[in-house]
Amino acid sequence: MKTYKMAWRNLWRNRRRTLITVSSIFFGVLMATLMSSMQEGSYSNMIKNIVKFYSGYLQIQEEEYWDHRTLYYSFEEEDFLHKSLTGIDQIIMITPRLESFALISSGEITQTSSVIGIDPQKEEQMTNLSRWISRGDYLTTGSSNIILAEKLADNLNVDLKDTIALLGQGYYGNTVAAEFIISGILKFPNPELNKGFAYLDLNTAQTFYSSEGKLTSLALMIEEYTDLNKVKRQLDTRLDSPYIARTWKEMQPEMVQMIESDRAGGVVMKAILYIIIGFGIFGTIMMMVAERKKELGLMVAVGMQKFKLASILFQETLFIGLIGVISGILISIPLIYYFIQNPIPLTGKAAEAVINMGIEPVLAFSLEAKVFLNQLITVFLITILVAFYPVLNILNIKVIKYLQD
Amino acid sequence: MKCIVPLLILLFPWFSGFSQDAKQIVKRADDLMQGSSNTSEIFMKIHRPKWERSLRMKSWVKGDDYALIYITEPAREKGQVFLKRKREMWNWLPSINRTIKIPPSMMMQSWMGSDLTNDDLINQSSIVKDYEHNILEKEILDNEECFKIELIPHDQAPVVWGKIITWISVTDGYSLKNEYFDEDGYLVNTEIMSQVKNVGDRTIPTRFMVIPANKKDYYTEMRFEQISFNDPIDEGFFSLQNMKRIR
Repeated sequence: MKTYKMAWRNLWRNRRRTLITVSSIFFGVLMATLMSSMQEGSYSNMIKNIVKFYSGYLQIQEEEYWDHRTLYYSFEEEDFLHKSLTGIDQIIMITPRLESFALISSGEITQTSSVIGIDPQKEEQMTNLSRWISRGDYLTTGSSNIILAEKLADNLNVDLKDTIALLGQGYYGNTVAAEFIISGILKFPNPELNKGFAYLDLNTAQTFYSSEGKLTSLALMIEEYTDLNKVKRQLDTRLDSPYIARTWKEMQPEMVQMIESDRAGGVVMKAILYIIIGFGIFGTIMMMVAERKKELGLMVAVGMQKFKLASILFQETLFIGLIGVISGILISIPLIYYFIQNPIPLTGKAAEAVINMGIEPVLAFSLEAKVFLNQLITVFLITILVAFYPVLNILNIKVIKYLQD
Repeated sequence: MKCIVPLLILLFPWFSGFSQDAKQIVKRADDLMQGSSNTSEIFMKIHRPKWERSLRMKSWVKGDDYALIYITEPAREKGQVFLKRKREMWNWLPSINRTIKIPPSMMMQSWMGSDLTNDDLINQSSIVKDYEHNILEKEILDNEECFKIELIPHDQAPVVWGKIITWISVTDGYSLKNEYFDEDGYLVNTEIMSQVKNVGDRTIPTRFMVIPANKKDYYTEMRFEQISFNDPIDEGFFSLQNMKRIR
């Protein structure tokens, strides 16, 4: 009889024992999967909300722009740029922006702010900017009005229909100044954004900054976040100097760092979880060997090769590990799927904190493959490690002692 | 011993009055360019690797303390006025109907995107009072014999440069080249004067090139299209009120 068949049969000779061991692995895998799914999910939720709103996943810029952030490094929106983007299927939206800083002043009060020229319709499709409008109206194409963030308006002591003066530095380094009427107030959930953002129609902004026809960036939206690197590589081959594609990771390194440090914290948590799982498996296997001492001793006594017996026990443990891991993942997939469809809403202080960061207040989950693969591999490796215990035990068997037991 | 001292003075006459001479040479050059007052029309061209643009302006200057500049071209900037009174500076922006006081922290900022700073524009004439002057040597510059003079700022002087080296024509008395160094002794800007012309009561260079040392293909050119000296200008002319009225 083949050893694996014997191992399989052995498993079911004592179902209860097997099921207990399997379930300890099952729950371990389920916990670890849910935890890392939640982690990854909240990261991509964060990325989706902040990155999408602020920089877009990818931007095409003049290569020097990001280091200097002045309009000197703006560029003409030329056809060949758009041509170089067609044919990359993952790019679903492109929106032009002209972004710089300016002083906004009303009466005696002056505040600094980002003043961004946008294509109102495209920006709306991409970042859904108008959903933050709390009073007044969103920009229309060709509008000569300004919309600005709530806190900024408060600080300036202005409201709808008031006139504010903008003062900044134009494309030529010249002083530019103009007056605008406030047609809308934006209430961003993120206090940082709320303090210093104002929007103009692209053409109006270009005239204001004396940079007609110029952009500081083309923000790109891609269908799936996971395609980011693929699209970036394609763009790298298509774009020539002085144009460059930048990912949000380059533009928002602080966000990347935040995620990395959070992930490092998660690693510690997972390590603790794995240690618990590992000892759980080890405990049940140890018990199994202890329970079967007489049986094992007898087998050796009647002439079974120690090596063969050890291999059977090794395989038993592997089977238990496999069943546990696979069932754990099979159950966690629909569970996670359910939570993705019906996210758990956050409430109270936790929700407030998250909203303040500009993130939707939900516990988000992720169905990314790496969530499952990592748990599968780690738990299975732990099982293999544990499987050496019965093997060593058999190889050092003292038959008489075992039989007396 | 008794005769050595007079002998030394005889042999090295510059021992006695050399630094005074240097100061006088600089002062004369400064007076030549500034007069007690002057009125001018200036053309300015700013060159950058990516673009080039030009401005036109009218300027009124009285002594060291008062200056007013009115931009006439291009249309976008027309009507902007810069006013200097003593060590303060204001900018009038007709498009938003506002006067902005330029704070000391912005003195080193570029003026209208050119290679001149706000400070260059208004503090020019302290070149006499705020520096220690020292003749280094005589040098031939563009076929003109020049004094090469080193200017080191006084300890307490409110100047931004660590050192200036200026070349002043021996025969004509105007300066032909200035080199501006920062506090660490690195060259920041070179200013070259040319197109010497008779502008009425005097002969002076009318074209100024400012070339930053570490930026490739950057320069600012200024030309006096018209300049007249020593017209009487009332101090009241340099007022915040007049800044809004002037055309």
